[in-house]
Amino acid sequence: MYKIFLYDGTFEGFMCAAFHIISEGIDKDRAIIVSKNEYQPMFIDSVREVQNDFKTFLEMRKGIIEKADSSVFKKIYYAFLSDTKDKEGYILRYLFFVFEHGKKIKYLYSDDIVNAVEKMAKNVSREIGKYMGLMRFCETDKGFLYAKFEPKNDIIKPIAYFFKNRLNEFYWAIHDVKRNKVAIYDRKKVQFLTCDNLKLKVTHQDEMFQMLWKNYFKAVAIEERKNLKLQQQNMPKRYWKYLLEKN
Amino acid sequence: MDVLEKLEVLGAAAKYDVSCASSGSKREKHFGIGSTFSAGICHSWTDDGRCISLLKILFTNECIFDCAYCINRKSNDIKRATFTPQEVAELTINFYKRNYIEGLFLSSAIKNSPDWTMEMLYKTIWLLRYKYQFNGYIHVKAIPYASLDLIRKTGFLADRMSVNIELPSEKSLRLLCPNKTKESILKPMEFITKVAEEEKNFVSAGQSTQMIIGATDDSDYKIINLSQHLYKKFKLKRVYYSAYTPVNHDPRILKVESPPLLREHRLYQADWLIRVYNFSADELFNGKDENLDLEVDPKVMWALRNLDKFPIEINKASYEELIRVPGIGIKSARRIIKNRVFHSLDFEDLKKMGVVLKRAKYFITCNGKTFERFLIDLEPEKIKQKLTDKNSLQRPQQLSFFDREVFTSVITGEI
Repeated sequence: MYKIFLYDGTFEGFMCAAFHIISEGIDKDRAIIVSKNEYQPMFIDSVREVQNDFKTFLEMRKGIIEKADSSVFKKIYYAFLSDTKDKEGYILRYLFFVFEHGKKIKYLYSDDIVNAVEKMAKNVSREIGKYMGLMRFCETDKGFLYAKFEPKNDIIKPIAYFFKNRLNEFYWAIHDVKRNKVAIYDRKKVQFLTCDNLKLKVTHQDEMFQMLWKNYFKAVAIEERKNLKLQQQNMPKRYWKYLLEKN
Repeated sequence: MDVLEKLEVLGAAAKYDVSCASSGSKREKHFGIGSTFSAGICHSWTDDGRCISLLKILFTNECIFDCAYCINRKSNDIKRATFTPQEVAELTINFYKRNYIEGLFLSSAIKNSPDWTMEMLYKTIWLLRYKYQFNGYIHVKAIPYASLDLIRKTGFLADRMSVNIELPSEKSLRLLCPNKTKESILKPMEFITKVAEEEKNFVSAGQSTQMIIGATDDSDYKIINLSQHLYKKFKLKRVYYSAYTPVNHDPRILKVESPPLLREHRLYQADWLIRVYNFSADELFNGKDENLDLEVDPKVMWALRNLDKFPIEINKASYEELIRVPGIGIKSARRIIKNRVFHSLDFEDLKKMGVVLKRAKYFITCNGKTFERFLIDLEPEKIKQKLTDKNSLQRPQQLSFFDREVFTSVITGEI
């Protein structure tokens, strides 16, 4: 029989669930953390819903940073954003390791759990890195910049904070079309909302710059060095859907 | 001529400039539009697979010089165009805020005079920094023969500056660029190094240069030796190599069918070895061959010529020894050192840590054991054959091997 811990789907909520399991000494092989939306009830399980309590979350974070360091905490956060199935299971076991081994966890390459979490985190961080460059904003008739994307992992938060720093002088919105999430920036702070459909029109001026960019993109390729395979390797097809120069 | 047409002409004219790095800036930022990112960001990849990070354009392609290899030389009958500083600034800002680019790479042909040209570059960047309060990355060329005062003023506004060394020897320069002298290139280079050492916020991402490969008969040894001096003496951040694309038919240029891409790649690898792995040019070539081996990477080439230094014991070797093993890069060496503290490592551990054994296995032992029996006694020729054989067996796939390993390693520096 498993002990099921339901959480609200957020990183903070997940950490609270993990906190209860670790602090109450529950056997990690008997505990399962599942997002409320994804749980399908089984009557033999004992189910407990965990409240998302920010203080508990902060306590967990502090514990991880003290025991290991902030890079390990960041790794856990990135792994949580991954679209890997049962990421909660991997990260929970990883957390047990953190409290057992501390900093050393960074060099336990031979462990499967550690390897899996490393891989998830790396995949997320790579996708964030790609979208930092491949996001394309357009100017809308409502006077703000707008970009849409369909990331594999749920990375809208770190992406939005990157652009908060970069496009700090503009009003903008970033839209994860796959998950119906929007990040909106009003030159002060970023807000995260859900939304289905945005009706926006691109300005005439923006169309001109789109054309300029597409032409420039064509003009700078060197015919004698043509290598579409290498291009696709650096910029896989799944990024092309909203990429001006590839459409 | 409208901006669209100018951008096409002056973007195409700048495509042979190699550098597109946007990393390493330490310029202080107070307010304004945008930011730099220390690791650099690529915003797209062209059909030839090269990354686009910066809006790379010439200010003008009208030139009073007549260099044999250059598409923009005076004697060529091509479409000419010149931007205004305002046009470049507006393009940059508008591309930047749409996240098309990381910043501007501004180069130029020499129109009217070197000083006139440099003045225009300065004005453009001044507009960007002060009128538009642009904080993104700017790489600008220092024009040979321009006044040092102008170069100095420009350097305080830029993240990176570069003077193209163009060709690896004075003889080649005299042959192909009758208008440029060694002096006209090295003087501004030396000046930028000096000011950067004395002043804060002057080209904080450093200085780079580039040279053309394959248009002259200069050997790889000569090229790498020159680069080594440039790194040491002028503290350059990068030397870029550009396989010559035959754009002009000129009897002074060596006949090139297509750009020597593999040679270019081997030079980048050798460059990494002297810049990051502490090799010296003399060590790499050790008087034997003036050119790099195209069949194997330069680290393998070196190791095969120095088999007496191998095998290296993974559990005892120093960091410096480890990074000299073919197939073991900076990252793997660090992992090995951090991991062997806990327990002694065998080949399985190495695999799990992500150390690629394909090349390394011929040069290492784990606790005295080799990867397979009799592996180490092999003659250099036999090892080389084994390493290159596999590639020829997979002929149809060779291109993909070439692409992946070859070109990404230029970026990551793992050899």
